[in-house]
Amino acid sequence: MGHASLIDELKSTKIRDLLEQGQRIDGRSFDQLRSLSIETGVIPKAEGSARVRLGNTEVVAGVKVQPDKPFPDMGDKGIFICTAEILPLAHPSAEPGPPGEDVIELARVVDRGIRESGMIDLSQLVLVKDRSVIGIFADNSVIDHDGNLFDACSYASTAAVLSTKIPKWEIKDDIPVKVEGQESDAPITTIPVSVTMGRIGDYILVDPNGEEWECLDARITITTNSDGNICALQKGGHDGFTFEQLTKCAEISISVGAKIRETLKQSKQGGQ
Amino acid sequence: MENTKRKYVIPGDVITTGPFRPEHNVILDGNRIIATAVGISEIYDDAVKVIPLAGKYIPKINDLVIGKVISHSSLSWELDINSCYVGFLPAQDVFGRDFSAHADELTSKLKNGDLVVARIANSDRSRDPLLTISDRELGKIESGELVKISPSKVPRLIGKRGTMIQTIEMATGAVITIGQNGWVVVSCENRDGLLKAKKAIQMVEAEAHIANLTDRVKSMLESKGE
Amino acid sequence: MILGGKESDVVLLDENGIRCDGRKIDEPRRIMIKAGVLKNADGSAYIEFGENKILAGVFGPRDVHPKHMANTDSGILRCRYHMSPFSVSERKNPAPSRREIEISKVIKEALEPAVMLEQFPRTAVDIFIEVLQADGGSRCAALDAASVALADAGIPMRDMVSACAAGKVADTIVLDVNNEEDQAGQADMPVGYMPNMEKITLIQLDGILTPAEYKKCIETAIGGCKQVYELQKKALHDKFFSNGGNS
Repeated sequence: MGHASLIDELKSTKIRDLLEQGQRIDGRSFDQLRSLSIETGVIPKAEGSARVRLGNTEVVAGVKVQPDKPFPDMGDKGIFICTAEILPLAHPSAEPGPPGEDVIELARVVDRGIRESGMIDLSQLVLVKDRSVIGIFADNSVIDHDGNLFDACSYASTAAVLSTKIPKWEIKDDIPVKVEGQESDAPITTIPVSVTMGRIGDYILVDPNGEEWECLDARITITTNSDGNICALQKGGHDGFTFEQLTKCAEISISVGAKIRETLKQSKQGGQ
Repeated sequence: MENTKRKYVIPGDVITTGPFRPEHNVILDGNRIIATAVGISEIYDDAVKVIPLAGKYIPKINDLVIGKVISHSSLSWELDINSCYVGFLPAQDVFGRDFSAHADELTSKLKNGDLVVARIANSDRSRDPLLTISDRELGKIESGELVKISPSKVPRLIGKRGTMIQTIEMATGAVITIGQNGWVVVSCENRDGLLKAKKAIQMVEAEAHIANLTDRVKSMLESKGE
Repeated sequence: MILGGKESDVVLLDENGIRCDGRKIDEPRRIMIKAGVLKNADGSAYIEFGENKILAGVFGPRDVHPKHMANTDSGILRCRYHMSPFSVSERKNPAPSRREIEISKVIKEALEPAVMLEQFPRTAVDIFIEVLQADGGSRCAALDAASVALADAGIPMRDMVSACAAGKVADTIVLDVNNEEDQAGQADMPVGYMPNMEKITLIQLDGILTPAEYKKCIETAIGGCKQVYELQKKALHDKFFSNGGNS
């Protein structure tokens, strides 16, 4: 990220000084998220959608469902693909053009978190084995960047998928034809929740905001499923974690994740 | 707005017609004077101008500004001064005439992220504004907090003959350095004083166009006293 | 009686002059514009125009990178019109299509006469438009939002730019063609207009018009542009001039 995001030295010093007094720059406790709002159905023409505001970070996710060819060695499974784009209007340093390594990592981490949890039972999305399956595409557009895009995109995609309606297709002359007015919920087996934590010195902070993000020594995103098991993991940043810190992060991700899971469940029942 | 000489305008609005001199943020089209910015138009004497309510800082020579160091070459630092152009601070301004590019290390004096109080030494559109920090009251800022407001609100924050800023400083015990570029540094030993001063600054920015602001800021500062 | 450009079950214009979505021939779809919706962008606006949902963000004037793209006499305008993959019926590949690139150029050239770039040599003003949900006439809606975002950012402009399309449907010139009318109709003409300078800065045509229809179509579109202009004004007034509003 370019100079537009370079935090000033007085602020970064203040962030560290406050941590030593047990405080964060915006007054949150160490395991507290910023205000989180999840609104579904914001893009009515898409089969599913959600808009997430996590502090000042904002993401819109849309889900498109359409027939597709299965992957060569997976003819008995539907397709799930998740992408992310940091729109150039989201931040002065965000540049238009082919995605850089930050955006690619973001998309792949969000995708893995949902895929590896088995959230969508892909075996229920087959129209004709080996020939025609249903593809679910979740695309995240980040519209305002103030730190922790991993969780914002993850919650947006998950909420969008939870509220997605799968149309019914019939095969006529080998071609899938949509049957209007017969939609069903997506086949959901579990609700994955990612929790991103950053480390500044010896302190572990949940959901770093934009300023904290600039000061992080390292970060980790841990995704848990409804059983409280860990299904995906990504460490990032220029420094590392001790074993004790990683253990603590896992505990936090399970307890904080459980609370967010409830918020996600409520979002499915009609917005907010 | 009761005063017919002032109007809210957006770009393209015709402010008036007739023999007026177009000044800031207006253009002459035939005999129409047209606003080119979102703001408040003013007709005074024989001239028309618009006070803009948005936009970046336009550097003017001798202005005091707060800048943030964002990079450096071997000969100068580059500073973000909330303008469309980056400010340049030559190494000689800090090291003196005997500055030697390979002997003197720029980062020993100022590094990326440092905030400084500087003055615009020279500015014309053909090159980036030149800064200086070689006077007494200028230089690196060692403590305090940076608050950003729109440059168009700076006169309101200072107030007539400094009344607004003095009111805030006296009520909170804070020392406030205002850059013409809308960047403000607030320094206070007392944490509550700091928070109050920040709140007062944000209040001035939000309500700059509403009358009796000084009184309202005063009563906000006096309420919930310690 | 069924009137339609192509064979379809849709009645494009009935005997009472009512269109397929219930509108009269000179009635635009529902429009809503809000200024200053993003935290990071220097200026921004959000528009709903029919079913279009479009976001515009502006940065600048700012340094140009790479430096060789900078113009020493004047600032430059850069514009990116992009559609989110979920914005259309069949999911769109995120990479910019040729259509998006053309629309980006056309919108940029619609704004250039309005933006006073000569005041900021060696800088760029960047306009980023994202279509979150697309309906017919998205380029006009995009231009409307971009114009408000530029004013919101405090970029000096000679005038606003307001846009609306007109078209020919069932042999009649109508205002603001929707998606179905675009598919089954006979012509679609998007127009961008500077309301105080009375200059047309965007105009394209898809379809065939007689010279008389062409004139009527432009006039109708300009009428629509003027209606949009009032909403652009309102969006800026609501943000900057309302008591207790935060700028």
